[in-house]
Amino acid sequence: MSDDLSQFLPLSPATLHILLSLAGEDRHGYGIMQEVLRQSEGQYKLGPGTLYDNLQKLMNQALVEDAPRRSGDDDPRRRYYRLTRLGRKVLTAEIARLDTVVREAKLHLRVPTTRRAV
Amino acid sequence: MTRSLYRGLVWLHPRAFRSEFGDEMLWIFDEASAFGASSLLTDGVISLLRQWLLRTRVWTLAAATAGGILQVSLGGAVMFFHGRLNLHRATLVTSDVPATEELLHITVWALAAVLAMVAALALWVKSLNGRRLERLATGFARR
Repeated sequence: MSDDLSQFLPLSPATLHILLSLAGEDRHGYGIMQEVLRQSEGQYKLGPGTLYDNLQKLMNQALVEDAPRRSGDDDPRRRYYRLTRLGRKVLTAEIARLDTVVREAKLHLRVPTTRRAV
Repeated sequence: MTRSLYRGLVWLHPRAFRSEFGDEMLWIFDEASAFGASSLLTDGVISLLRQWLLRTRVWTLAAATAGGILQVSLGGAVMFFHGRLNLHRATLVTSDVPATEELLHITVWALAAVLAMVAALALWVKSLNGRRLERLATGFARR
């Protein structure tokens, strides 16, 4: 299974943010854009063109799928998206990969500081 | 004004993309344009270029056609001038009629060659895409 997931990794920043924004709950396009902005503390602003290009790719790869509408009086132009089981596995694998990178980076970046302190 | 411009940009996207996400893009524009329409318009232009140049791969056909025309034109020109030279050498040129006929033949063959090259490339790309989709489908079925 890990071999199957490795073909999706590493994820691009846009893909990672989109999957991450859908990890908590189903969202519509504008909701994803706002959540990505919040997660990145305003540093990563995703435009609709980039968002839907990535969503199209993610849906083709079966990582994201359409979710049912929340209520009948919702704007009919709104479409909700959610992570598939495969999408959640890919996101988990990517977070684990990034965690290893961060741990490695911390280990290497700490060495000169420690030496100077001694 | 800016909404009409954005609507035009969305409309210019490839049909498959527009029919799937066009309405939502317009909805987002309606929601978010108050916070800066210029960035949305820029994103729309970039998206338009991305969809046509990278996703539809129309440029591969255009490049193949241009390449085919260039190759066949160069080959045709070489053949034409070589033929003219041989005719002059053999002192067979009595009027312009044979040269015109020769040019016509070369043009027809050149056009046929370009069309054949483009058709072959289009079929090849189509079969490649088909095989890629099959591979993806098989991969997902396994999961």
